[in-house]
Amino acid sequence: MENLGALAIVLAFTLAVYSVAASLAGKWKGRPYLVISAERAVYAIWFLLSFASALLVYALLTDDFRLAYVAGHSNRDLPILYKFAAWWGGQEGSLLFWSWILASYAAVVVYTNRRRFRDMMPYVTATLMVTMAFFLLLIGFVVSPFKVLAVGREVIAAPDGRGLNPLLQYWAMALHPPALYLGFVGFVVPYAFAMGSLITRQPGDAWIHTTRRWTLVTWGFQSAGILLGAGWAYAVLGWGGYWGWDPVENASLLPWLTATAFLHSVMMQEKKGMMKVWNMVLVSATFILCIFGTFITRSGLISSVHSFAQSPIANYFVVFLALLIAGTTWLILSRLDYLKSESQLESVLSRESSFLFNNLILVASCFAVLWGTMFPVISEAFTGEQITVGPPFFNRVNIPIGLFLLFLTGVGPLIAWRRSSLESLRRAFLWPVVGGLATAAVLLAAGVRHFYALMCFSLCTFVAWTIVAEFYRGARAIRNRMGLNWARAVVELTHRNTRRYGGYVVHMGIVFMFIGFAGAAFNRDTTVEVKIGDSIRLGAYELKIAKLDEGRNPNYSWHHAAVEVYREGRKLDTLHPERRFYFASEQTTSEVAIRRQLNHDLYLNFAGISDETQNAVIQVYIFPLVSWIWIGSAVLFFGTILCLIPSKVKLQYARTEVVGVARQQAPVRP
Amino acid sequence: MILTVAALLVIGAVVFTLFVRQRDLPAPEPVSPVEHLEERKARIYDGLRDLTFEFRVGKLSEADYQRTKAELQAELKRLEEEIQAVLEAEVGRKAIPAPPRADIPATEESFRCLSCGAIFDRPMKFCGECGQPMRRGEG
Repeated sequence: MENLGALAIVLAFTLAVYSVAASLAGKWKGRPYLVISAERAVYAIWFLLSFASALLVYALLTDDFRLAYVAGHSNRDLPILYKFAAWWGGQEGSLLFWSWILASYAAVVVYTNRRRFRDMMPYVTATLMVTMAFFLLLIGFVVSPFKVLAVGREVIAAPDGRGLNPLLQYWAMALHPPALYLGFVGFVVPYAFAMGSLITRQPGDAWIHTTRRWTLVTWGFQSAGILLGAGWAYAVLGWGGYWGWDPVENASLLPWLTATAFLHSVMMQEKKGMMKVWNMVLVSATFILCIFGTFITRSGLISSVHSFAQSPIANYFVVFLALLIAGTTWLILSRLDYLKSESQLESVLSRESSFLFNNLILVASCFAVLWGTMFPVISEAFTGEQITVGPPFFNRVNIPIGLFLLFLTGVGPLIAWRRSSLESLRRAFLWPVVGGLATAAVLLAAGVRHFYALMCFSLCTFVAWTIVAEFYRGARAIRNRMGLNWARAVVELTHRNTRRYGGYVVHMGIVFMFIGFAGAAFNRDTTVEVKIGDSIRLGAYELKIAKLDEGRNPNYSWHHAAVEVYREGRKLDTLHPERRFYFASEQTTSEVAIRRQLNHDLYLNFAGISDETQNAVIQVYIFPLVSWIWIGSAVLFFGTILCLIPSKVKLQYARTEVVGVARQQAPVRP
Repeated sequence: MILTVAALLVIGAVVFTLFVRQRDLPAPEPVSPVEHLEERKARIYDGLRDLTFEFRVGKLSEADYQRTKAELQAELKRLEEEIQAVLEAEVGRKAIPAPPRADIPATEESFRCLSCGAIFDRPMKFCGECGQPMRRGEG
């Protein structure tokens, strides 16, 4: 069976190479049969990789420990869900998963464009298949998921596997890699269309219209993947943090930053034919950073709690990245005349300029994160010593950047496209600024002195006010004209321009998340050794240790505490933090207990057993406002879906009608 | 059994990839020499709609609104002239007048924009003042 899997991958690799050659030869020689054959190869690759993936999943579910991958990442007592998730739990399997997602995307692209963009499609197919061929080279010849355990020439089966990393045995981690990969891999599509349009010098922006939805869906998955990872870190790692500026975390954030910049600046190109070079650079940078992120995660180049062991595939990634960067740079530089802007920035006081600032800030943040992430490698290259850059550096740089971005999020909706007069700006900014300042005043009066927290809450009020005002003004205009009630007016308003209003909902999600981030300035914690009957005090809470026990099952042994939660003498809840030791992987994990509320979380971690006293060590945390991060995540995702719904007002128009000048105008009523 | 499956995989993949029939080739796309210009026109209509909406909700002063609208209309006019010039060069004949739309009855109501009330001398599909569709029941 493993031979079939390996054959399918090698055959897919051969077809990927054929597809590249046939696409280019068919285009250059004017042979449409070759072009169609190349596209057929894309479908065949998808089938072969689905077959190979099905074989690997079957091996995982049936505990086929002859395969080294199954023996290394699964075991007999693992629940079925995590046996399936082991498909992407290890390096070889995750690269196969990456390849299968890429093949799926490529098949959809080829199918949906089978009658369109025939001039560009050979280059789009070739770009997709070059990337495909690279990953298939890795799993076909370097790190095969179908390698068997052998002694001499005899294939053996391990009696049991090492199991899935227990840190990954959590529902969010079953979803986190698929969501992140759907995002990472998806960015090859806009990149392929961008390269296709550059090579063929496509007039117009067809590639942007076609890929805008791809970009939004991909960005949505990227966001979901990052946030699922944060949720996992919070609930599983035991220290209550959701982001540690770990290199692998940063690797997922880098393309998200450039993708966010691209999603905004692409509107400028659609509306005004501006920023064409910038968009090309952004979409290329996003794709290259996706490959770079995969490289960091897989290669072990930089130490991380996430990354896999040192891997033989690092050099392959370096070569592929170098070729990618060189080829893309040459193509953009050689086509600068084709990328000339059709119009200029008319006014600094315009939405265009706020988008420009937004882009610059996002790219600056991306550069800062990239610098900090790569600093250990750079320092080792120059000094021979790896100097690690930790959260203090990233926080010092990115907190002000994040607050400025939050400010721009509020500014953008307030000003019009092209230009705004000072009078209209004064009118638009007045109440949101008053709201922000009032928030700061109230918090100062309440004793809040943390500068960044004050700034953050004030800006959140400012931005939320502008967003609500946008919905209010628009719905009021529709109510006045159509006589609808408020709820229907809001729905009608959103449906008329789902991109704009879906975008506002996404921004509101960001505001909620920033409220959650600001709460971290007020975190409290204590660590105590306890026995049964002891009490712990933190803030307004009194925690009584009602029970301490231990036990074991086939998968792990455990220490468990039952902790009663009291406030002002009244019992609120009983929490059950637990500490586990997994036999197969010989790894210890924390099962934290969280009492979630809108204003704060009460978080208990069973940290261990004291060597000296044999007492339980319990860590207690209060995390104010952290739930708003998860609420904001859900709102962000909902807003992204809204953006994908087609707007009610179609953008179609007559192709042969002449624009008329009205014989008689009626005044437009505000 | 495994050899059979392997042979089927290889043969199936090769046959599916290489055997392309005449009827599998897509019909040639109609090429419009003015497609990118039409895209720019769509962009300007979109801008007119945004502009009207932003004026209605109070983000723009009257002066800004009128000035920007005039600029967009001038841009539309220039674009239309460019489209006509390209079409003339393409077919090598004089300018073709815009054909009357058979699906819009030639009544006074057809010439009035339902969104802003502007009146035109001929039936229009999109209003050149506010950018909204002019057909009855739309906009």
